[in-house]
Amino acid sequence: MGFGVAFTPFNVMMAFAGVMVGMLIGALPGVGPPSGVAMLLPLTFGMDPTSGIIMLAALYAGTMYGGTITSVLINTPGESASVVTCLDGYQMALQGRAGPALGIAALGSFIAGTIGVVLLMLVSPLLARWALSFGPPETFALMCLGLTTVTLLTGDDALKGYISMALGLMLAMVGYDIISGDARFGFGIPEMMDGIDFLPVAIGLFGLGEVLHDAEQVGKAPVPKGRYGLRDVMPTALDWTRSKWAIFRGTVLGFAVGMLPGAGPTVASFLSYTVEKKVSAHPEQFGKGAIEGVAGPESANNAAATAAMVPMLTLGIPGSATTAIMLGGLMMWGLRPGPMLFEKNPQFVWGLIASQYIANVLLLILSTAFIPLFVRALRIPYGILMPLIITFCITGAYSLKNSVWDVGQMLVFGVVGYAMKKLGYSPAALVLALVLGPHAERALRQSLIISDAGPGIFFLRPISAVLMMLALLAIAVPVTRALRTWVRAG
Amino acid sequence: MHNADRITAALLLAFSAVFSAAALKYYTWWGDSGPGSAFLPFWLGLVMGALALGLLYRTPAESAQWMPSREGARRVLVVLGVTVAFVTLMQVIGIVVGIALFLAILMRYFERQPWWLTIVISLSAAGMNWLVFEHWLRVPLPMGIFWTS
Repeated sequence: MGFGVAFTPFNVMMAFAGVMVGMLIGALPGVGPPSGVAMLLPLTFGMDPTSGIIMLAALYAGTMYGGTITSVLINTPGESASVVTCLDGYQMALQGRAGPALGIAALGSFIAGTIGVVLLMLVSPLLARWALSFGPPETFALMCLGLTTVTLLTGDDALKGYISMALGLMLAMVGYDIISGDARFGFGIPEMMDGIDFLPVAIGLFGLGEVLHDAEQVGKAPVPKGRYGLRDVMPTALDWTRSKWAIFRGTVLGFAVGMLPGAGPTVASFLSYTVEKKVSAHPEQFGKGAIEGVAGPESANNAAATAAMVPMLTLGIPGSATTAIMLGGLMMWGLRPGPMLFEKNPQFVWGLIASQYIANVLLLILSTAFIPLFVRALRIPYGILMPLIITFCITGAYSLKNSVWDVGQMLVFGVVGYAMKKLGYSPAALVLALVLGPHAERALRQSLIISDAGPGIFFLRPISAVLMMLALLAIAVPVTRALRTWVRAG
Repeated sequence: MHNADRITAALLLAFSAVFSAAALKYYTWWGDSGPGSAFLPFWLGLVMGALALGLLYRTPAESAQWMPSREGARRVLVVLGVTVAFVTLMQVIGIVVGIALFLAILMRYFERQPWWLTIVISLSAAGMNWLVFEHWLRVPLPMGIFWTS
C-alpha cells in the first residue's frame, strides 16, 4: 500500500527535493537538521500532509549525509551527529583520501538507512498496538521519560538542560487552558492568548540564533584540494573489507539507540565510534584516518535518524530536536501522532515509510554524483549565505499564519537562542518541552482526576511505574554527581 | 562563565517567583473534579526556582570565554539591527522589496561583496521568494506601497 502512495510522481519529486535541500543544509555549517526542518516546514503547509512529511523525512536523511561532507572536508561538522566523523574523516582528507571517506559514508548511510526502514516497518506496528492500552498515566510517564532523557543527552551540562526544559514547559502554559478555558499569561494580547506557537520559536532558536552566533566569527577553513568525481569517491576493495562490519554494527547500534526517546543520531554516532575503536585490531589508527571510524558512526547516525521516527509515529514522543519539530508539523496538519495514527491514517504512515526507501536510493545516487557540487557550495562566502538564511527565517515565520506577530516572536527567540548558545543551554530541550507541554499537562490532569491515590497513580500502574522510575533515574544521576562534587569541594 | 550564570540564575529566580505567584493569584488551583489551570504552572515555577538556586550555588565549572569580542559583538548588533529594521518596515515597503534591500545592505557590510554580485543575488533571491511563497504557496505576503494587486 505504501509504495502506491510514495510512488506518485509528485511524492517522488518531493523526496528528491527533500534529499537535495537536506544535503545542502547539512553541508552548510551553522544550519543543522532542526533549523532546516523548521525553516522548510512552512513550505509544506500548502501540500497534502503525506507529501509534506515525505519531503521533511527525506530532508532529515539528506542532512545526516550532508553534515558528513563538511566534517570530512573542512573539519567543521555541519550538524552534531557528524562531530565524530571529523576525527578520522578530516585526517583521511589530509592524506588525500577525502573521496573514499565520503564514498564509504554514503554507502554506509544507504545500507543503514535501508535496513533501518525495514526495522521501522517491523517494529512500529507492534509498538503501536502495545501503546494502544496506554491511559493518561502511562502517557504522562512516557512524556516525563522523553523529556528527561532528551535533556540529559542533548547537552553536557545537565542542570542547564533542565533549566531549558523548564522554560519550555512554562512557555507551553501560555494561552487558553484546554480544560478550564482560562486564558493564561495572555496579558490581554489576543495573539498571546492563542499560545506560543512552536514554529516561530524553533525557527528563531535554531535558524536566527545560529546565524547570529556565527556572525560573530566570519572566516573559515579552506577546503582541501582534491578530486571529487564519481571515480574518486569509490572506496577500494580494501576499504570495503575494513568497513563492512563497522557499517553493520553501526546500523544495529544506531537503530537501537535511535529508538530510545531522546538519544538520537548524535549519541548513536559517538557510541558507534567507541565500539569500533574497542573491537578494532589496530585501535592506534583511530584518529589518524581509520576508515572504520567514518563508516561506523555515519551508518549509525542514519539508522538512528530512521529509528527516531518509531517513537514519534507510534507514541507521539519525538526522539530528537528534529523529530520534535516534525511532530509539531504533524499536529499542525491535524494529525494526532500516537498509536491511533496507524489505524486512522494508514495511508500517511505507510506512504512515509515507503518513501524512506526511495529517499535512501536517491540519497546514494545524489551523494555520489553531486559531491563536486556540494564541495562548491562550501565555497559560498558566509557573508552571502547568512543574510539569505535570515530572509528565509523571516518569510517562513510569516507564512505560518500570515502575521507579523510571529515574525516578531521569531526575532525574540532568535536573540534568546543566541544567548542560550553562548551560555551553554540546549535549545533542543526547550523546543521539545514546548511541543510536549500541553499534552503532558492534559495527561497529568486527567490522571489526577481518575486517581484515588493522588500522584500515587503513576506508581501503582506497572507500565507507568517503570517509565516513571526511569525518568527519575535520569534526574537522579546528574543530581548525585553534582552533590558528590559539592561535598568534596566542601 | 560564573558571573553570567549568577545573573541568569537571579533573573530566572525572579521570573519563576512571579510565574508561580501569578498562577495562584489569577487562575484556579483546583477545579470541580481535579487540578485546575494554576496547578501545573505553580509547580513549574517552583521547579524552575529550585533549578535556578542550584545554578546560583553550585561550584563553577570552567571559566569558558563567553563574552563576544568587541568586533564580534558589533557584527551581531549590526545583523540584529538591520533585521529588526526590516521586520518593522515590512508592512510599509513590502517583503519582496525589503528582502532585496536587506540582502544588499548585509552583503555589502560583510566581506564587501562586489556590487554586481550583490545586485544579482539580492534581486534573484527576492524574485525566488515571491515565486515560491506568493505564487506557488499562495501566502499573501505583505507587498507594501510599491505594489498594488
